Amino acid sequence: MNEINPDFAAKAYQAASEQSSKQKLDIFLAELGRLKRIVAGLGLSAQDGEDVLQDVSIQALKQSGKYQSREDSVRWLIKVTVNRCLMEHRRRRSFRRRACEMLKRRSENKTNSNRTDEKVIDAEELEIVRESLQELDDSLLGPTILRYFCDLNSKEVGQILGLKASTVRSRLREARMILAKRLLERGVKP
Amino acid sequence: MDRSCEDIKEILVDYADGQLSQSESNKIAEHLAECEHCREMLEALRRSLELAEVVWEDGLAEAKEIRAPSPRKARKIRWPRYAAVAAGILLMLTTSIIWRALVRPAEKEISFAEIERRITEAGTAARLLAAAELLAEYPEAEAIVKEQYRYIVETYPETVAAAQAKLKIQ
Repeated sequence: MNEINPDFAAKAYQAASEQSSKQKLDIFLAELGRLKRIVAGLGLSAQDGEDVLQDVSIQALKQSGKYQSREDSVRWLIKVTVNRCLMEHRRRRSFRRRACEMLKRRSENKTNSNRTDEKVIDAEELEIVRESLQELDDSLLGPTILRYFCDLNSKEVGQILGLKASTVRSRLREARMILAKRLLERGVKP
Repeated sequence: MDRSCEDIKEILVDYADGQLSQSESNKIAEHLAECEHCREMLEALRRSLELAEVVWEDGLAEAKEIRAPSPRKARKIRWPRYAAVAAGILLMLTTSIIWRALVRPAEKEISFAEIERRITEAGTAARLLAAAELLAEYPEAEAIVKEQYRYIVETYPETVAAAQAKLKIQ
């Protein structure tokens, strides 16, 4: 019964890690920080985010050799991560921590870091924006996070999501106006 | 809110993001100097983005705890699926061998030790085949997979798995 080649798994791993697969994984690891921002921007928990990034890394390995340039690979990675995160976000529809919890954690961090340059955050305002983000349509939330949280410009966001830059701009305008109007509607004067 | 407010609302986000040309920005600035409503809207645009960043940054603190996927962990092996296939093949073989041994003993006498050996071999070969098929999904492992098929054919020639491995090599 002990006849299974003991080196089989090791050889398999070695073979799969070679060449293009390794390159894919290297690109994935280099972009991990940005992918984590997408996970965070879409309100996923660390556990859900880890599962999503595991899946994305597997898909990346399977895509070996499909994309020629590094830029194409990076765009593909971001697109797949956004789509997977949006799927999770749609299912749970939640930025889990409420405003008061966020502020508590923020003040603890602030105490630890002794930073004094932070602006005062009003819990009521923060809760309104949190709820508004939660209710924002996927077609608006994806571009908004990529543009404002991942620091990509409209053209880059368009290339990733398969949209024209002008469409991205109009979606960003719509999303921003929704968030701003909610603040004003609820009687909060910035 | 007059007509010019409506027009400006369309590009106020671009203004807040610094996406407008100098002349367009100047026009907006002139309007803002006179219109409190648009000033409030601009401030709400800026404030809401700041607060959205607080929400996202809060998530990021947690996301930073996410471990980088390791290649070994990333290789999610669906053992239950392959184990089910192997178990199915094993069951068919066992049934077939026992039936042949019990129903037609006159044709060829087979000892229980021989039956046990064949079952063991069939099971091992089926497991090896399942593992090789799993690995066949990765083009980089083609050489190893072929080597494994050959190993099954040579070591367990009488098994169903060997017959299947032979077909794969061809």
